Amino acid sequence: MTSSVPSGGPDAASARAAAVSLGPQSRTRGWLSHPSSRRLAFGYMLLAPAALYVLLLVGVPFLFSLYLAVSDANVGEPLSRFIGLENFRAAWEMDTFWIALRNSVVFLVVAAIFKSVLGTSLAFLLLQNFKGKKLVRGLVVIPFTLPIAISVLSWKWMYDSQFSVINWSLSRLGLIGSYGSASWPIWLGQPHLALLACIGVNVWRSFPFTAIVLLAGFTSVPTEILDAARVDGCSFFQRFRHVVTPMIFPILIIGFLFDTVFTLSDLSVVYLLTAGGPGNATQILPVLAYQIGIQAGSLGRGAAIALTLVPLLFPALFLVLRNLKRRDW
Amino acid sequence: MKAVAVPRTYRQKEIRRHLWLYAGMAPFLFIAVFPIYWMAITALKQEPDLYRINNIPFWFNMPPTLKNFDILFHQTNYGSWIVNTMTISAWVAVITLLTAVPAGYALARLRLPGAENIGIAIFLTYLVPGIILFLPLSRVVSLLGLQDSWWALVVVYPTFTIPFCTWLMMGFFKTVPMEMEEAARVDGCGQFGALIRIVLPVSLPGVLTSVIFAFTLSMQDFLYGLAFVSPGDQKPVPVGVPTELIRGDVFFWGSIMAAVLLVGLPVALLYNSFLDRFIQGITGGVGK
Repeated sequence: MTSSVPSGGPDAASARAAAVSLGPQSRTRGWLSHPSSRRLAFGYMLLAPAALYVLLLVGVPFLFSLYLAVSDANVGEPLSRFIGLENFRAAWEMDTFWIALRNSVVFLVVAAIFKSVLGTSLAFLLLQNFKGKKLVRGLVVIPFTLPIAISVLSWKWMYDSQFSVINWSLSRLGLIGSYGSASWPIWLGQPHLALLACIGVNVWRSFPFTAIVLLAGFTSVPTEILDAARVDGCSFFQRFRHVVTPMIFPILIIGFLFDTVFTLSDLSVVYLLTAGGPGNATQILPVLAYQIGIQAGSLGRGAAIALTLVPLLFPALFLVLRNLKRRDW
Repeated sequence: MKAVAVPRTYRQKEIRRHLWLYAGMAPFLFIAVFPIYWMAITALKQEPDLYRINNIPFWFNMPPTLKNFDILFHQTNYGSWIVNTMTISAWVAVITLLTAVPAGYALARLRLPGAENIGIAIFLTYLVPGIILFLPLSRVVSLLGLQDSWWALVVVYPTFTIPFCTWLMMGFFKTVPMEMEEAARVDGCGQFGALIRIVLPVSLPGVLTSVIFAFTLSMQDFLYGLAFVSPGDQKPVPVGVPTELIRGDVFFWGSIMAAVLLVGLPVALLYNSFLDRFIQGITGGVGK
């Protein structure tokens, strides 16, 4: 795209920098010689609706949530006053908050481990050539494309305390006792099992995403480079370690971070399966923020709890930003 | 003899390779597809057939029935939820197209100062999760007088469709050769004329993709629908089913599975066929 820039360096970055600094005046032909003020006005006019929408309904609400977190805002009361860090202090004094924070982190880490293992295995399988690959690929991504609230309901039925199809199968295989016996798992009713059951649904939904992102990365590595490495005597492992991994790393990071943001901020799995129970065994920050902010009507405290996700999300956002900036424009 | 043996071993090798691959793939296929099968068979079973622990649950022990679907459409608000979902998505698609297509064009083609940073900033808002925005947005929704109506969702859903589709359209517009536009201008089109007559028609696949994503991303939402819309007849499907078809502790599993199957399957298939675009979009390789 910068081919007509006279002074571009050999690499894309400096050519881009040159194109930006030279500006439109250096262009001599075509519509770019159009008076630039009119072109800019036209451009900003086209950009304005989207930019304003996002600014007004994402930017302003984000700042507003910062205000809510330090106010005593309530549902039904239009006016609120500044109360400093009271909401955060109140949250930190709740046992439930710390349980939710711990569960959120456990959820994220355990789910990430399973997703990496399963996603990588699936990606390697899909990398092979075999008959019916298109169909298989279309079918294995179904968990990711089903609307989440809908698939969670299906899981809730499979986790049913009495008529769980999972338990039925395990029981017939002789792995657990019959209904009512001590070894009959009540997936959503026993603390550790319940958290595991929720993590399971998240993994089930997201590992095809991991696999497809990885696959997109693998297929973006030019075969010539791999062949060259092979000619130079690199083993499969060396090619993988020194050629493939560095090349797909940016894509990998972005996919991983998208998943992190989704997993940390998703409320539907836990809310629909257990609503945080039994006790607080599956309580996570998003569910707690919803229960306190909307159900109990304490907007301020809910916002404070939701905002504790920001420090957890911030590294992810920062890395995405760095990666996008390096993208070749 | 050797000349015969070599192709045969190659063939055998291929068959063996395929068997291994299918064996490896089988568990993945099973866990991906089984929930759909389970939805379908539950939806078509008679009520007593669902709740007999000695029955084999994987197949019908009593004749299949459409009663669950009948209940859905005649005794619940399911019909309204489908209409709501479709209307909301259609409005979201319109709003998204009217904002994201021009923005994508401006950012990709008009060499605005700071276009790269503006583009990244807009895309990053896609990563601001709903859980941080839903409380302040609930104030915005009530300020607009839209609480308890699905119009609230028409206003809110573009907060994630606009960033994503702007990014997507930027990628599409970059693939349209500049020369086409220049030629149109030489032939006397204005800047706007060139956009409408040349660039848009060529980018039609991109526009269509944006529409699909406006639909599918709207249907992936649960939080906003749950938080902003409470009257039973105003909900979209993904919110109506879990909140209205469960009364107290009673789960009408037959109807619930019928409800989710009927909407989930088409959405999943639609999304499936555009999944590669989605992945390309978020990994930054748009339009390559």
